[in-house]
Amino acid sequence: MTTAAIDARGLGKDFGALRALDRLDLEVRDGEFFGLLGPNGAGKTTTVHLLATLLAPSRGTARVAAHDVVREGLAVRRSIGLVFQETTLDRDLTVAENLRFAARLWSLPARVARPRIDALLRQFELLERRDDPVRTLSGGMRRAADIARGILHEPSILFLDEPTAGLDPRARRSLWERIRGLRAASGLTVLLTTHYVEEAEPCDRVAVLDHGRLAALGTPAELKRAAGAGSLEEVFLAHTGHRLAESDGG
Amino acid sequence: MRAVYGIVAREFVRFLRQRGRVLASIGRPFVWLVFAGAGFAAVFAGRNEIDYRVYMAPGLLGMVVMFGSLLAALSTVTDREAGVLRMVLVAPIRRRTIAFGKALGATLLGTAQAIVVAAILLPFVHLRPTLAGALLGLVAVVLSGLAMGALGLVLAASIRSIENFAGVMNFVVFPMLFLSGALYPVRHLGPVLRAAAYVNPLAYGVDLLKHALLGGWARAGYGGELPVPLDCAALALFAIVGLTVAALLLGREGGVTRTAFRERR
Repeated sequence: MTTAAIDARGLGKDFGALRALDRLDLEVRDGEFFGLLGPNGAGKTTTVHLLATLLAPSRGTARVAAHDVVREGLAVRRSIGLVFQETTLDRDLTVAENLRFAARLWSLPARVARPRIDALLRQFELLERRDDPVRTLSGGMRRAADIARGILHEPSILFLDEPTAGLDPRARRSLWERIRGLRAASGLTVLLTTHYVEEAEPCDRVAVLDHGRLAALGTPAELKRAAGAGSLEEVFLAHTGHRLAESDGG
Repeated sequence: MRAVYGIVAREFVRFLRQRGRVLASIGRPFVWLVFAGAGFAAVFAGRNEIDYRVYMAPGLLGMVVMFGSLLAALSTVTDREAGVLRMVLVAPIRRRTIAFGKALGATLLGTAQAIVVAAILLPFVHLRPTLAGALLGLVAVVLSGLAMGALGLVLAASIRSIENFAGVMNFVVFPMLFLSGALYPVRHLGPVLRAAAYVNPLAYGVDLLKHALLGGWARAGYGGELPVPLDCAALALFAIVGLTVAALLLGREGGVTRTAFRERR
């Protein structure tokens, strides 16, 4: 039996009268590249924030890296990396200062953090910009620095919440190459949320979310076969009766 | 502990990088000394007993701590807007550790500013504190900074945007300053305002600073008005209650995420 990196049972969240997430059953295997696909407002970010212990569930339970998200928040947060949709870097600090700040937040001793930061900066082609304020970086570089920040403490699970939003095609491509490289090197579990269908294609499995409900779950190939569709876009259409956003709706 | 150090270190790096903020924090008390000092000196009831500029000195130091610590703690609002707060919230740290780190950073920042200002201001008004007075002054500054930092955190955790923040400055900072005894003795106020002064943390901080610096004028009625232990206890109480509430507010679900959720809809 493979261990589950993420195991959500009947997980749900209401914001007042709004049912953001209904009752989600989801199992993400260790080392899996898992895609959460759906339009804006489908409940993707809510799901990520519930799993990352940033929100308390209204119902249901979830275990992340074998820790309960309600009772063992600290242990969950220690095991995960989370790259938010918008940058979380301090724009007034340099790239290196931001990573040092993150290293301290994650309680990494300086002798561990220093070589790791150097290696990440090299790997993410930020070495020359290390002492520049984040403010002066391009969107793609900022995103690279965000991801470097997200994996600095070597998490076993990485959440990427709409990581390509606002990036140009070249920056997107290089981002996917970095993610591929990371997964190959460390066997990292990656949970990706996106409303771009083509971004979910390389995933091992994809869950389609719509209006806070799980509409479909399977490998991209299975989903296409089951729906008799040629693309995930058509799968989505078949399950939800409406199309995904084509353009970058943010 | 390393996380607390990280939060404090970031406050200092950010502060020192903002030239305007550094200059304002050092220049502000002197602007008050010159302009408010000139005007109030003429109408000050005790002008035969004490030079008004000397009388103002403890209050101005209290003001430096208030602005320094309160503004530093309120930077939590900008942290939220810029997204940095999320990086902190997703780190494996308890909410109360975050609150403590922020308050400690604010305290130390306020204290450092007060020490720099005191080094210029006290010789300038020919006020030479005794060693015991200087030490008590340091205690006063640190305790006031902690109380102000905690208050700033509560405000930052409960207000959502920078626009509100300006309102807070006008409706919190100025009443606090005027009801602190910084510019005139609290005992001269009417009973209602005097009662208001005693729920004002700055009043205890300024009172403690008067004990520390104006001991020579105590008999004339311009030293501290309350017992030293009461001042210390009141400031400590403000700090503890503030930190507890701030930790609760920060931990309250949706402190950050709910706003993010709303933006996305």
